[in-house]
Amino acid sequence: MTTSANGNNTYRPDAIIVGAGIAGMQSALDLADQGLQVLLVEKDSSIGGHMISLAKVYPTLDCASCITAPKMSASAHHDNIRIMVNTEVRGIRSVRGSHFVKLFKKATYVNFDKCIGCRLCEYACDSEYPDPFEMGLGAKRAIAVPFTNAIPQKAVLDPEICTTCGSCARVCPTDAIEFDQQSEEVEIETDAVVVASGFALNSLGVKSQYHALQNKNIMTALTMERLLAPHGPYGRVLRPSDGKIPSSVAFVLCAGSRDASIGVPYCSRVCCMYAIKQAMLLSGALPIADITIFYMDIRAFGKGYEQFYQNAKAMGINFVRGKVARIDPLEDGDLSLHVESTEEPENILQEHRHDLVVLAQGMVPEWNPSISTPVAVASDGFVATPLLTAPTSTTANGIFVAGVASGPKDIVDTIAEAGAAAMQVSQYLYQKRAAVTPEYAQGPVLVG
Amino acid sequence: MSDNNHSTGQPGNDHHEDAVLKEDAEYRRQHETIKRQQAEDRERAGEPAEPKVGVYICRCGGNISDVVDVERVAQVVGMVPGVSVAKVHTFMCSDPGQHTISNDILEQGLDRVVVASCSPFLHEQTFRGAVSRGKLNPYLYEHVNIREQGSWAHKHDPEGATKLAIQMITAAVGKLHNAQPLDLIKLPNHRKALVIGGGIAGMKAAAELAARGIQVILVENSGRLGGRLNDLGRIYPSETMASDLVADLIKQVRNHKSIDVLLNSKVTAVSGFIGNFKTVIEGPFGPGGGPDKRDALVGAIIMATGYRPYVPRDGEFLYHQDRCVVTTPEYIQMMQKMDPGAKSLVYEGRTIRSVAFLHCVGSRQLDGIHEPQPDGTLNTYCSRTCCSTILHQAVALRKRFPQVQVYDFHRDIRTYGRGEEEYYAEASKAGVVFFRYNGEEPLQVERTPGASAKQPISRKQGPITITVKDMLTWGEEIAVPVDMVVLGVGMMPSHIEDLVESIKLPTGEDHFLQEVHPKLRPVEVSVNGVLIAGTAQAPMNIQETLNAAGAAAAKAAAMFSHEMVELNPFVASVDASLCCGEGLCVTQCDYEGALQLVEKEVDGQKVQRAEVNAGLCVGCGACVPVCPHRAMELNGWRLDQFEAMVDGLMADVPYANCEPQLVNLG
Repeated sequence: MTTSANGNNTYRPDAIIVGAGIAGMQSALDLADQGLQVLLVEKDSSIGGHMISLAKVYPTLDCASCITAPKMSASAHHDNIRIMVNTEVRGIRSVRGSHFVKLFKKATYVNFDKCIGCRLCEYACDSEYPDPFEMGLGAKRAIAVPFTNAIPQKAVLDPEICTTCGSCARVCPTDAIEFDQQSEEVEIETDAVVVASGFALNSLGVKSQYHALQNKNIMTALTMERLLAPHGPYGRVLRPSDGKIPSSVAFVLCAGSRDASIGVPYCSRVCCMYAIKQAMLLSGALPIADITIFYMDIRAFGKGYEQFYQNAKAMGINFVRGKVARIDPLEDGDLSLHVESTEEPENILQEHRHDLVVLAQGMVPEWNPSISTPVAVASDGFVATPLLTAPTSTTANGIFVAGVASGPKDIVDTIAEAGAAAMQVSQYLYQKRAAVTPEYAQGPVLVG
Repeated sequence: MSDNNHSTGQPGNDHHEDAVLKEDAEYRRQHETIKRQQAEDRERAGEPAEPKVGVYICRCGGNISDVVDVERVAQVVGMVPGVSVAKVHTFMCSDPGQHTISNDILEQGLDRVVVASCSPFLHEQTFRGAVSRGKLNPYLYEHVNIREQGSWAHKHDPEGATKLAIQMITAAVGKLHNAQPLDLIKLPNHRKALVIGGGIAGMKAAAELAARGIQVILVENSGRLGGRLNDLGRIYPSETMASDLVADLIKQVRNHKSIDVLLNSKVTAVSGFIGNFKTVIEGPFGPGGGPDKRDALVGAIIMATGYRPYVPRDGEFLYHQDRCVVTTPEYIQMMQKMDPGAKSLVYEGRTIRSVAFLHCVGSRQLDGIHEPQPDGTLNTYCSRTCCSTILHQAVALRKRFPQVQVYDFHRDIRTYGRGEEEYYAEASKAGVVFFRYNGEEPLQVERTPGASAKQPISRKQGPITITVKDMLTWGEEIAVPVDMVVLGVGMMPSHIEDLVESIKLPTGEDHFLQEVHPKLRPVEVSVNGVLIAGTAQAPMNIQETLNAAGAAAAKAAAMFSHEMVELNPFVASVDASLCCGEGLCVTQCDYEGALQLVEKEVDGQKVQRAEVNAGLCVGCGACVPVCPHRAMELNGWRLDQFEAMVDGLMADVPYANCEPQLVNLG
């Protein structure tokens, strides 16, 4: 496994992929399997994206790790793929068909060539902070391997938390800790780029009527995923404010989407299904709990999804059609949801009491490439895809897009699109090279 | 965990521990005999007397370890003869997990590996990879499924699941004792793709492959390319003409001389295997365009056979009973053909002043509510595209004929895609009136009382009345008289029963082609070398179809990046020294060409001997038991391996101290 592009100038990958979530990894694998050299760039300390933090995935209820971890491993072990983590793309210059990608390698204060992932530093460190991988519910040391099945298994030091006490350096068996390490900028030339920069959720605070930022018992679905994950922060589902086992859980759909008042008029496309999935997992984990899903429309449109929805209804999960207008905190940590029901004429304005609430926040782009690259974004903020017959093309020649970077998508649709983007890249490279080297035109199909 | 042993606080724990020790000793003793036997076998084969087996047990987060006591499993199988390492990991399939395996092989000289985790369908290949990275032959590896067959199946019997895991692992270790290294079978790869279906999915896949330097045969059974898109007008969300998109793709297809487009043609026979499919195509290839056949040898087949719209039964929502009840494709055709200058909407002699669009016709069907298809199946799935199609059409209708009232009857509005929610908002603004109903209380569509088919009862009231229990008005029952009803019909797979039969393609309950796994292998089917593109798999919109086609092309291109195809080595083999050429195996074999008798010379005499075609043999093993001379064996599943597995399964395992531990788990 190569964790860093080496310093010499001869490394010129056929394609650079921005983002190593499920879209980026799938594109990388589909290109590398065709014999192309790929550089996979990730801003976080591990590849795997959001997907590796999920509990189980719909509609098969496979554990997310069981699907993601092997793709991570395959990417890391592929002869044709190199991985750079802790690296941000700072810009792309396109000159006569070549793309010069400016990469900012953030200092990790650990020499990755020396680190063996033994975690002795992590055990020795005594500065802790809320673990971002556990959505802040667990603690993490200032120097740590990102999470159990992270790739690469290398410790990273967070300078904001570190007290520079030096305990880590004293226990490191390979002298890998370098307090004087500097961030650096490198530029790598390539022929094609795939933007697979994924999504962020809009803030829990976008709807002030929900008082979500002030209340620990109102959480995003990504936090609920961690609570449901078998190796999650508590190892079981407990509510964060007081550790109580929840007995009544509410899901509020469209809490951050389909709402022009918060600037996200579009549908985030995955919330209905993950809410149904989490509701099913919760009814397994908390058999006596009541689970209610407040919704506007249930959008179970994919293969096997409608059947999944009908199963959830048959399992006794309560579906209430109505938009939640307001959420008020109650003195014991419970929450009062004010809902306008469209189902009971005698009881239109309803109040529901729940002890845990999951808000379906909207998907917004993680990165805006239009600031530093030739790639334009549309009015919704996602990458614009102007070419009708090639949905993975962008406004820039030789730069393609895959996954949620061009609009919300679920994992299944993201994986298909990542394959399509890889195909676009490989035929683009083939055409480009065949124009220069005519042998390509008859040749078999190896591009690399 | 081990503290639990003593935490029950009940008397008799000492006895219990004695029993454990006794059982452990008995277990070891039994295995000594087997071990001696195996050591002799191995010595004869020139191998070191004792194999070094590494056993790796996965917790799968908790999917396994919440039920199976994996630590106990490791402890017990660690005592099985030949096992030199038994370890537990939270996620064996993760990189650190895999790394443990390759490292142990290199550092501890393991020569056999067992992983006990999920179904081999998910991760057998993953762990063969890890074994290869340890420089060990990947077929000296056994995969044991203790999740689907263990913890998930026996959720309420942790003790039983733990015992079962131990037995299955012991059997696998036994099987590995007699395992031999195997190599992948390498066969020539015919780097040419056959794409079946000339709609947008087929054209896109063909164009992408050709642009990548790959030869393609594109077979279309109608007389023109473009498929269902030829019947559409303006498409959402781009608002371009479907014909422009089709023309663009046709240009891409026609520009490549490496695409052989065969119109009015059909694939009538398929045999062979990945890299080497022999296909027969029938079409107008004869003199003067007469019918003829041609053979084509291809390496991959892409199924882009598309969908057909649901056709309502006669009388379903008055379909075929009122001339102004039409399906969405019929409506789109009607609007396409209309005089662009028309001031009013007239259809079949009726002036249309109001139109109702009905969602979910032939989709999201519920048991006991909807009438099944003639073959008894219900279309329980969502057809994904109808909501946006209807709203797109409703907005266009309001814009073109503002005097026409438009009603929309839906269960949910599923405008999920980029640029689709906008049609919902626009339709509301344009004055489309929405009604919402529960699937359990379907719409009633009847003739308006007093109206004849020809004559509306009054100028204002349409001849068709839709009755709805409307959830937007808290369940009020509303009767809506209209002049025209448009049925938003769903998608069903095309009639490809012949191909499903001849290629042995798997289909789902919904009759669409079934992928191997929606995330791990989304465009592949269980027949290697056959890929799916577009709505042959499931309902999809245009962009999703193009993406699926691209993904299928990418898989084909990867397949064609190698000069040879590589196949699993689990095929039959003939021991020529035992074969007498009786041919019982050939008679038994179900796979044409997989086994045949060939003439060979033995001691100067011409004799018949069985020979296996490794490409066609599927490794079913039917030939093995019929051979009276035991000349047939299945590589990787030899008879002595089965015997060793049975020994492993029958061996007594020391379970005694599983129990108190598991009581606490209950």
